[in-house]
Amino acid sequence: MKSSNKYINLLLTTLVSILIGAVIMLALGYNPIEAYIQLFKGAFVGKLNFGTTLQKFTPLLLTSIAFVISSRVGVSNVGVEGELYLGAIAAAWVGFTFKGVPGPILILLCLIVAIIIGAAWAYIPGSLRAYLGVNEVCVTILMNYVAIYITSYLVNGPLSAKTGVPQTPTIAEGAKLAKILKPSQASAGLFIAIAVVIIIYWILQKSTIGYKFTSVGLNPMYAQYVGISPQKTMINAMLLSGAVGGLAGALEVLGTYGYFLDNFSSGIAFDGMLAALIVKNDIKMVPFMAFFLAVLKSGALGMERYTGIPKSIVDTIIAIFIIFATMEDLFAFVQKRKAKKSEAATSGQN
Amino acid sequence: MDLSSIFDYTLIYATIRASTPILFAALAAVITQQGNILNIGTEGIMLTAAFVAVLVSYTTGSWVFALILAMAAGVLMALIMAVASIKYNADMTAIGTAINALALAVTKFGIKQFLGTTGSFTDPKIIGIPRINIPIFEGNKYLNGIFNNWSLMELLGIVMVLVLTFLLYRTVWGLRLRSVGHSPMAAETAGINVKKMKYQIMIISGILGGMAGAHLSIGYSKMFIENMTNGRGFMGVAAMFFGGANPVFAWIGSLLFGFIDSIGGRLQAYGWPSQFVLMQPYIITVLVLAISLWRKAKREEKAKSSLFVEK
Repeated sequence: MKSSNKYINLLLTTLVSILIGAVIMLALGYNPIEAYIQLFKGAFVGKLNFGTTLQKFTPLLLTSIAFVISSRVGVSNVGVEGELYLGAIAAAWVGFTFKGVPGPILILLCLIVAIIIGAAWAYIPGSLRAYLGVNEVCVTILMNYVAIYITSYLVNGPLSAKTGVPQTPTIAEGAKLAKILKPSQASAGLFIAIAVVIIIYWILQKSTIGYKFTSVGLNPMYAQYVGISPQKTMINAMLLSGAVGGLAGALEVLGTYGYFLDNFSSGIAFDGMLAALIVKNDIKMVPFMAFFLAVLKSGALGMERYTGIPKSIVDTIIAIFIIFATMEDLFAFVQKRKAKKSEAATSGQN
Repeated sequence: MDLSSIFDYTLIYATIRASTPILFAALAAVITQQGNILNIGTEGIMLTAAFVAVLVSYTTGSWVFALILAMAAGVLMALIMAVASIKYNADMTAIGTAINALALAVTKFGIKQFLGTTGSFTDPKIIGIPRINIPIFEGNKYLNGIFNNWSLMELLGIVMVLVLTFLLYRTVWGLRLRSVGHSPMAAETAGINVKKMKYQIMIISGILGGMAGAHLSIGYSKMFIENMTNGRGFMGVAAMFFGGANPVFAWIGSLLFGFIDSIGGRLQAYGWPSQFVLMQPYIITVLVLAISLWRKAKREEKAKSSLFVEK
């Protein structure tokens, strides 16, 4: 009952947002139907377009899952962006420093270092929250800036390729992930990401670790009573979340770019977080939402090219979409109608 | 390197100049935090207002109109958040993040649609908020450098600190607001309309955030750049945390941010890696947050052991 409401809400939200988008376009004198057709074409038709969608999907998927992991214990990890940056530069450093190491081992090494760096960075806000109760949203936002400044210093200074562009030297050929759907930038990183998400799904839904996460998230006092340390569990969740964030950064470097570029992300992890927020951290829905956002983002490029509608209108629609999606009681009338049929339905709703 | 050319009297005004946008944002966060709302959307409110200010100033040639409409835009954004969170039970962090995303998208779109360009917009037709010139100070190099030619908003910022302090700690309304923040249920029992109170503080937050944005785009500079707030809204939230939601301490926090920002710029001129200077305010804020809560925990532990009172 409750879960079907959730999906109906999401569907209604989607429709309303698309409708609002259409109204905005109409008001500005554009043809919304053509715009949406071009958007669809821009995301799916042709190797380049579909590849671009997949390329954007990979980091969105991982960063949204990273946000979901920490949300399980009731901690909002807004710092995935920072972890992504640090993981990316760590992977780039390993990639261009240890050129003698054979390919597959080097790739593994890059990923492991990025994972460790990402997890270590997330440990700081995690432990501050767990032991001192410091608001993790604020700390992680602040630490994002620190992380971005650190990478900016490194890429302009010690790790610079000295070409005038703030980027690191290109990583070893062997460390680059195979490209799929050429000529797009999509890479085999997508499969790594999907594999990781399946593992995370298993951890969260089926393993003891996941059970601990959920218990602490639902009721830390109860968890403590039955012998689960809420502090340790929170930190573990942040470590896992940071690790996935670091991995997302590493895949961007190994798969898409081949080097670390200053300020390359421009808010990927924030989009990932939004994907997670829209579906209220429902792990089964997050991949679909991440894919949907990737479609909108890459389709917007095609829409702008063929219809002249600024692609920022798509970002506007996404933002409106999220605003509606966050309002838990917006489509309460649906629930009310159902409540009339069975009165007990609304008593547990909040 | 010549230290005296970094730490000279001009640094005082440079600090005020750099801190004012952050100060307004900090005050916008202070007022909501007193009612126990963490206003993550300050950044978005500010960015929208900055855009509206430039747009109105450019089309009407009046900075007064621009300021008023910027504040109105700020209030509109704040109200979206207020309605979503208070009426429709949205999570404040989520809706704040969504507002920031909306502001970024809408301004990006607006700059293309209404100003016909991308990236940044500047034009001599943009009328800025005036600066206060006091002719008497012009004779003295130091007085002139420190106190003359302040932007109206820089002065207003300091005034707002005093106004908010008075409102919060010297009026009945302020007392009620703080009680709402402290314990909404107790406040409700005492007959305070908590929802109305929350709407009021969100509107005030929108006005302050609007001022922050207008100052940034037509006071501090005379242009609009995509994402020109660049984290200043978050810095404001940080300054608010630094000052424990007290307007005066939040002001000190903003000054610290402004001071470090100014030094950062100067050190960069000497070839220092500016990034290390620029990240200091963030690190300091995290440290301040951690230390203040650590001391609080220690205090509570002490109180517990000396009283033998079970919670």
